[in-house]
Amino acid sequence: MDDYFSIDAILAENQRVGCRFKIDIADMGHLGGGGERDITRSNTLQLPIWLVYTVVLSDWADMIMPPAFGSKVRNALKADPCSVRLSGLVGAGGLWYVFGKTIMEILDKKQEMSDLLTNTFRKRLVQVIDQAQHFNALGPAGGVGPGGDSAQSFREGLDGTERELFALAQEGAKRMKRWYEESDRGRR
Amino acid sequence: MSLPHTLRASVTPPELELIACQQLVDIVPLIAMEKTAFISGAYGPLRPPHKARIPLWMAVTLKQKKKCHILAPEWLTVEYLQLKLTQETTQAEFTKLPFRFAELSRVMLDVASDDLQNPDKLRSLLQDLREARQAKARAGLENLEHSALGLSNLSAMEINEIRPFFIEAMAILGRLQPGA
Amino acid sequence: MSSVASWEAEYLRSKESNATSAPSFSHRGLSAPLEDDLLIPDVQLGEPLPEETPLEQLTRHWMNERHAPDILPAQDVLLGSILDHIRRQSDTIQLLRGDPSTSEEEHIRIMLAQTEVERVQFVVRSYVRTRLYKIEKYARYIIANEDVQTRITTAERDFASRHANIMDRHFYSSVLQSLPESQAGLDDTPHFIMPPMVTEPETTRAVFAHALKRTIARTPEGKTIDLPKGSLTLLSYAAVADLVAAGEVELV
Repeated sequence: MDDYFSIDAILAENQRVGCRFKIDIADMGHLGGGGERDITRSNTLQLPIWLVYTVVLSDWADMIMPPAFGSKVRNALKADPCSVRLSGLVGAGGLWYVFGKTIMEILDKKQEMSDLLTNTFRKRLVQVIDQAQHFNALGPAGGVGPGGDSAQSFREGLDGTERELFALAQEGAKRMKRWYEESDRGRR
Repeated sequence: MSLPHTLRASVTPPELELIACQQLVDIVPLIAMEKTAFISGAYGPLRPPHKARIPLWMAVTLKQKKKCHILAPEWLTVEYLQLKLTQETTQAEFTKLPFRFAELSRVMLDVASDDLQNPDKLRSLLQDLREARQAKARAGLENLEHSALGLSNLSAMEINEIRPFFIEAMAILGRLQPGA
Repeated sequence: MSSVASWEAEYLRSKESNATSAPSFSHRGLSAPLEDDLLIPDVQLGEPLPEETPLEQLTRHWMNERHAPDILPAQDVLLGSILDHIRRQSDTIQLLRGDPSTSEEEHIRIMLAQTEVERVQFVVRSYVRTRLYKIEKYARYIIANEDVQTRITTAERDFASRHANIMDRHFYSSVLQSLPESQAGLDDTPHFIMPPMVTEPETTRAVFAHALKRTIARTPEGKTIDLPKGSLTLLSYAAVADLVAAGEVELV
């Protein structure tokens, strides 16, 4: 797992999640970012995820499933995992899988969430790598990859985790290309 | 920094080449040399026109001084690679090739193409093999689990190319398990 | 001439301990000291696989170290013997090079020996630097963990504690001294799903394991995986850590 000083892990914890409170808490309304002074029972507040652990595990509030993992997204992912723009669900550079894992830790039914994340990741992975290796073959100027618009749309829809894998695959392919193309000049 | 960033997650192709160049190849020497103790072992004697077996790095050095001919290993021939390409495209698993065939063939094609028969055809066959195998490796990602994946007959250079994202993808699958 | 003197002493020593003679740098009697190194069988007792030369062993340990997430047992005996060998070979090269009567054939031989010395030095440097990188990264973990300390050399242990010390002082003077004392720790126990403050090697990270003999890996979850000789498997480092240390599996 990420180490303590991982900037990505810290940033991923800034995602906000809706929580419906079960108790009144005076003078803490500012946590939701609004103008309310107090938190009152059945108020819904958007809290950063690092705070959600505490309030849910202490049974002060129930978490509301974020739309990024709601039934609409689930159905779309079931139909065709590659057609969903994950980046659109968590914002550009957002970490859909890391966010999902965090939610999973809070849920009672972890397996279902794990299956959703795992299946989505695995089904999209081959295409992520395929595109990274082909995108590279076109050179830095190759703006449109194979498959044209749909491929480009898929690339734009990658979440931060997938984007990193894309970059890793691309870097590896580039390094290989460089090595194959080097001439024997300079070889001792 | 004790280790440059690019070297932390993987090994570079030139490093793999350095390792591969320790492998022995047959040469026909054009100079004589007594049997000599090197750090990696004793090589020689070289007595033209008798064949000798020396490490590839030594053969490359001599070749560049025009002091030897490098003899192609039996797998670096058009017939053999043609056969391998047919196997590669008709069977599901990776066909067996020398573990460091990519490095060895590239070095030999680089410095000793005049010692090889039909080097252009060899290059294009190697390229076709590479693409067929790359597609297979990618397809292997579909079977990726968080625990183990068998990849027998994959070569050193191929492993190195897929390593960073295979390892990372596996780590992510591990994290997505409940309670991980 | 001190190098010649020390060389001769070694020559005599090796003659006594090793009567077998292998061909070597035969030129004008400067040959013998190189030969016995070829004949030293096991530098790390019980560890090397049959027919592995010291350089092949070092190359294997170098790659293992590069791929393993954890710090592997130090190979200081092996490394020391290879460094000695490099030094002796370099001395011989210097002697021969300085001789004006050296023939053209001999020049090529010197060049080959020099090329090899550079190759071996590269492996040695990269191996040592790979370990230093891990020691810097896990310095705090190392100084608090006796098990890891058994796997590193005294020099590496000193390096780890000095490195951890410098980092601590840096954190303290740049940030921690301004925080309340209870918030200024660098090794607090983690809560919830926070990662631990002290960075530890991620031993479950996957590696490509090449089985040098038929063997069995055990995953951290207790599952066994059969590794036939010559097979290649992508699996958790923790499942093969012992096999790597025993030389039954190499990381590629």
